[in-house]
Amino acid sequence: MKSRIQFKYISVLALSALLLASFVTPAMAQKKLQKSPGGYHGELDFPISWNRYYSYAEWTKIMHDIQKKYPHLADIESIGKSRMGRSQYLITITAKSTGGHKDKPAMWVDGAIHGNEVNGITCSLYLMWSLLTRYDYDKYIYDLVNNCTFYILPGLNVDANDSFVRFPNTPHNPRESFRPEDNDGDGLYDEDRTEDVDGDGELSIMYIQDPKGEYKLSPDKRRFVRVSDIKEEGVRFRRIGPEGYDNDGDGFINEDDIGGPDPNRNYPFDWNLRAGNPYPMSEPCTRNAYEFMLKHPNIFASFHYHNTGRLIMFTTPPRREQKQTTEQKQQAQERLNQYLEEQRKTNKYAQAFDVQVRPGYEEDINAQAQIVTMGARILKNYRPVTSGGVGQTAASSYGMLGAYAFLIELWGSPAFDADEDNDGRVSDEEYLKWIDTELTGEGWIVPHKVNHPDLGEIWIGGTRKKHTQRTPPARYIEMEALKNTQFVMYCASQFPKVEIEEVTVTPATHNLFWVEVAVKNERIYPTSSDRSMKLKRAVKDKLTFSSSKNISLVKIPGAATKINPKNTSVQYETITGKVTEFRLKGKQTLRFCALVKIDGSSGWVEFHVKSQNGGSDSKKIKIKIS
Amino acid sequence: MKFQSKKRFRLVLTVFMGFILIGALGFSAQKIPISFNDYHGFTGTVKYIKAVSKAYPSITRLVEIGKSNMERPIFVLVISNMKTGTTIDAHVKLRNMRREGVKNVPPMKPYQGKPGHWICGSMHGNEHTGTEVCLYIIDKLVTGYGTDSEIKQLIDNKTFYICPVVNPDGVYNSVEKGLSQRRNSMMKDDDGDGRVNEDGRDDLNRDGFFTRFRYKDSKGRYVIDDVDPRLMVRLGRDKKTEKQRYSVIAEDKDNDGDGKRGEDSEQGIDINRNFPEGWFTDDDMAGGTGDYPTSSPEAQAVVEFFTNHRNILMAQFYHTSGGFTFRPLGTAPHDKLHPKDVAIFDMIMGKKYLEIIGEEVPEAWQKPELLDKFKAELKKSSKNKYAISRGYELPRGWKVSYNEARDRRYSYGMATDWAYLQYGIYSITTELWNSRKDIKGMPELKGEDARVKLERALLKYQDEKFGGKLFVPWKKFDHPDLGQGEIGGWIPKYRSNALPGSPLLNVCEMHWQFELFRAGLMPAIEISDAKARVLYTTNSARGAVVSQKVDQVTIKKGKSKGKYRVVEVTATIENKGKLATHVARGTQLAGNREDVVWLIGDPDKVTYLQGTPFQKIGILEGIIKIPGYSAKVAPAPQQEQRSPYMGRMWRFMSQYYPRPRRPQQRPVPTQVKGKGPKRTVKWLVAIEDNAPLKIVVTSQKGGTKVKNLSIQ
Repeated sequence: MKSRIQFKYISVLALSALLLASFVTPAMAQKKLQKSPGGYHGELDFPISWNRYYSYAEWTKIMHDIQKKYPHLADIESIGKSRMGRSQYLITITAKSTGGHKDKPAMWVDGAIHGNEVNGITCSLYLMWSLLTRYDYDKYIYDLVNNCTFYILPGLNVDANDSFVRFPNTPHNPRESFRPEDNDGDGLYDEDRTEDVDGDGELSIMYIQDPKGEYKLSPDKRRFVRVSDIKEEGVRFRRIGPEGYDNDGDGFINEDDIGGPDPNRNYPFDWNLRAGNPYPMSEPCTRNAYEFMLKHPNIFASFHYHNTGRLIMFTTPPRREQKQTTEQKQQAQERLNQYLEEQRKTNKYAQAFDVQVRPGYEEDINAQAQIVTMGARILKNYRPVTSGGVGQTAASSYGMLGAYAFLIELWGSPAFDADEDNDGRVSDEEYLKWIDTELTGEGWIVPHKVNHPDLGEIWIGGTRKKHTQRTPPARYIEMEALKNTQFVMYCASQFPKVEIEEVTVTPATHNLFWVEVAVKNERIYPTSSDRSMKLKRAVKDKLTFSSSKNISLVKIPGAATKINPKNTSVQYETITGKVTEFRLKGKQTLRFCALVKIDGSSGWVEFHVKSQNGGSDSKKIKIKIS
Repeated sequence: MKFQSKKRFRLVLTVFMGFILIGALGFSAQKIPISFNDYHGFTGTVKYIKAVSKAYPSITRLVEIGKSNMERPIFVLVISNMKTGTTIDAHVKLRNMRREGVKNVPPMKPYQGKPGHWICGSMHGNEHTGTEVCLYIIDKLVTGYGTDSEIKQLIDNKTFYICPVVNPDGVYNSVEKGLSQRRNSMMKDDDGDGRVNEDGRDDLNRDGFFTRFRYKDSKGRYVIDDVDPRLMVRLGRDKKTEKQRYSVIAEDKDNDGDGKRGEDSEQGIDINRNFPEGWFTDDDMAGGTGDYPTSSPEAQAVVEFFTNHRNILMAQFYHTSGGFTFRPLGTAPHDKLHPKDVAIFDMIMGKKYLEIIGEEVPEAWQKPELLDKFKAELKKSSKNKYAISRGYELPRGWKVSYNEARDRRYSYGMATDWAYLQYGIYSITTELWNSRKDIKGMPELKGEDARVKLERALLKYQDEKFGGKLFVPWKKFDHPDLGQGEIGGWIPKYRSNALPGSPLLNVCEMHWQFELFRAGLMPAIEISDAKARVLYTTNSARGAVVSQKVDQVTIKKGKSKGKYRVVEVTATIENKGKLATHVARGTQLAGNREDVVWLIGDPDKVTYLQGTPFQKIGILEGIIKIPGYSAKVAPAPQQEQRSPYMGRMWRFMSQYYPRPRRPQQRPVPTQVKGKGPKRTVKWLVAIEDNAPLKIVVTSQKGGTKVKNLSIQ
């Protein structure tokens, strides 16, 4: 118990520079390398208009078309069919010339597991588009696509995604997959859905005239406002709720909307019945996606797009159980805040997390903290936070597959810009100002009279339109997608890369020599996550020794295993056999030494390092004894 | 002429006799013969249930609920009168539907409106006695429909979902192929050599059975039995012997030349560890089998079927062998069970089960009123804290798989626990067949070499009854890897399953009786005294109301003429079944809802003055008193697993959802009085013209009933 390392504050200062992939297969060169930031970077080779949302038919066509243009970089497959029979298309991006997609560490990206969160689709498509079109132009992307694989599933919940884009909906529905569910407990399933009563293509709020109502029309007649004084004279309204009819005649409207389980509570890790009824992986769309992830153990990290709120949520390793009083918790929080304040004096993007992980998970929390700190810098007003389990996709990606998992909450209503009085919330007036100026008035539904079959004469309006709060308005989409693409690419650029730094030979005695080898990983991520080690999914890195016939390995006596011929401050591991297994952490150099016997005056030794996720490297040196 | 008339007379006689016969047999004209002289296996079972579903279309439906990894279908035979039963969606007319028109809700089947009883066999492929019992039960039900009034009652009012083979690949290999296979089949590379299923078991002597291979081995653990030389006796670890030692292995060779035998076979995962209850270990690692809960197509098929058939209240998952029943729980300690369900499981079902298999019923179950006394006594004598809290130790024949003595769970991801804890089903697992008890004259399991004695007796029994055909005599064989030896042994499918013929029939009959008893416990909802009384007529539907309080509406008395008739509708809703419409934790479970009563009429012509079209009426209790349980004594049920959609969320959202009918006021809820198994309900409605009305009571597990009202 005492020996446990306390991981109190993990803080990361700004990383000085992006560590670019350091090796390029020399045989290939980029066709149209562009070095000027102001130059042409290939996007117009396959132009896509990013200021609108696409239906399922449209975005799958874009996927297929772009794959046809870049067949050497991309493949498309359907990983299965959704409940309503739509194919779930997944695009695999990697340079086929540098190896198969399964032989490289992979980034999984899925968008829009919640039907209404379709800006996740846009971000996924934007990543796909950036990787493919810029491959020939950008060194950075060229290296990424050569060394990593990207599995991109733009729409996960395709049925609800398509419904959200094509039909009148509130910003919040349809969210779930289309398994029938009895929300109101009346024995009927999905029988009372929302309807666009006034036929304007938007789902707004219904009001009805009622002398006892709490609302009145605002002076500009654009919205309903609460009556402050009940005695005030004038026409009163009562809020009824979102547009719709009473389909089953039970006295309620819209009380049993389409859809059942939340797909993001449907994954097996930390699943529970309460949140994830009826059972884990019950939905075809989630099951197909998860089965694909299971069959691709090379998936090293995963991004899951959601909205809203501008958050970088990262899955933390299992926490250490600790009993803290509220006072202790407060004190810990204060210490954390103080620490952060200090850090922010020199780096305004500094982050700190109070996470106490179980023993053996230190590397994971360390690496993730560094990545999200950079994420906060790239995504600017996004806030990194830790996230939990309860059957969420990211929880299973990390908890069951050992992949570093991120849940990105995209966008967020323009609270950052529209909040004029800086009180932390955007009032209706502020919102309307934002809509009038930046959206040039197109984001608002003005109250109007409609005849309703169940209610008689009602009023509809006084709300924002669909694409104003959870999904950005058309002209903001690209801004959002670009930043997020940069973050995913940064994360992939930190996938491990094993290298042999140096091999040196120093004489010991007679014909015995010390051979030392330094193996390093300069990236933030270790060659396999702590979690994948615990899950026994990880394959250890291997250092293989080979030599000419006259050179042989000598077993070092047990008592002398910590022999260090050169420098006592450096830790060496001894090599005793042909193959040595180890695991390289992030930003780590491991030194090994072997004792060899050389018969004759010349020969060679070679070291080959192979890592499941970090590639391979080898170094051969010739030895001549004079 | 004479001849002709004789012929005619014969014809008339035949027709007459035919009528008598049909009359006597009811409708079961073409009986599907079935015998239990050998196992049906997968092929025989499918053939039989297909024939049954064809011969009895009015009381059976064959449903394919999934496919195994080897593409073999998993069938459920639904047994219920297809002409009776109704569901709520047949009565509520939906209008003004969303134009998008996503058709994701299939219409419910009439049999889903009756309490359901699931019986399945062979989740473990080599435990196919369960399949035979399922077939026996099918036979009893379909042939008994025309002759037995109790069975007719059940088939008319309840639904049986019988899935004789949950694990088609395992059963096919175990019975048809002669290779004992507990798990499902999977295409996978166990030994990581890049090839799939390349080194499974082998039938070396090609006799059609995968038996045993024995060879002389100075380090072997077996010797030949003195009494019966066919029998191999396993020695204790340090036991010394003068006799020739043998090694006994499976009939198998190394097919891929890696020095190992049978290391990459078709065997996949254990389906009964692949269910979503208690699948993870306490430190969040996989405890059950498969990549995730329900990863196997078989487990998913079962879980999906249960999800879509929420009317299932009873479930039996047959396994083999042991001759006892596991009631929940195995993955968690006893105190996760509600005390009311404990009483129902033990005092009602367990008691009956012990009586049927002929074992002694614990004293505490016979005198439940003295439970406190038994508890006090146990406190002195027992160390089992769960037994002390119950008041009795569980007997051999009716137990839990959780290890109460060591306070340790038995395993992970088991179906029975899942069905009870998550879906609120009285689910049990009966381990069928106990050769010592189910064959008459078997020796007692006592003494040092009790097992050997039993083995000898079993060999002798199969000599006498089966002419020795169940055991392959040892014959010399030259093993490619191990050299000289002999192949022989029990034919695997007979090894641990009920022996065909009378022992199997005996097992079938006992367990049919038990399931018949359990089916008889299920709830039965009825609507009685439904009345619609016209109070008076009026010109304005709304004008009738004088005052309205929280739950009371006062209407104008007297007579005025008009086209609206103000009608008082009353009815009594009753559960006449033995058990309640839910398990004790009832609607705390996600997916379980309260019982509901609807008053349905043309929405354009019916105005609800008091009451709402649908009203929740709680859970209708059963008519029997649960022995050994009283609500006062029992601790409060655990608050957990309430669905956000159906419980908390709905209560919150119901305030938010608009109510169209009377904008000015909240509608007065339907008047519901009474508790326990009975409710009386009352509405006041104003009806235009002669619009018809009907009452529909719908309970998830208690069934759906309709009553059309005639307005007086």
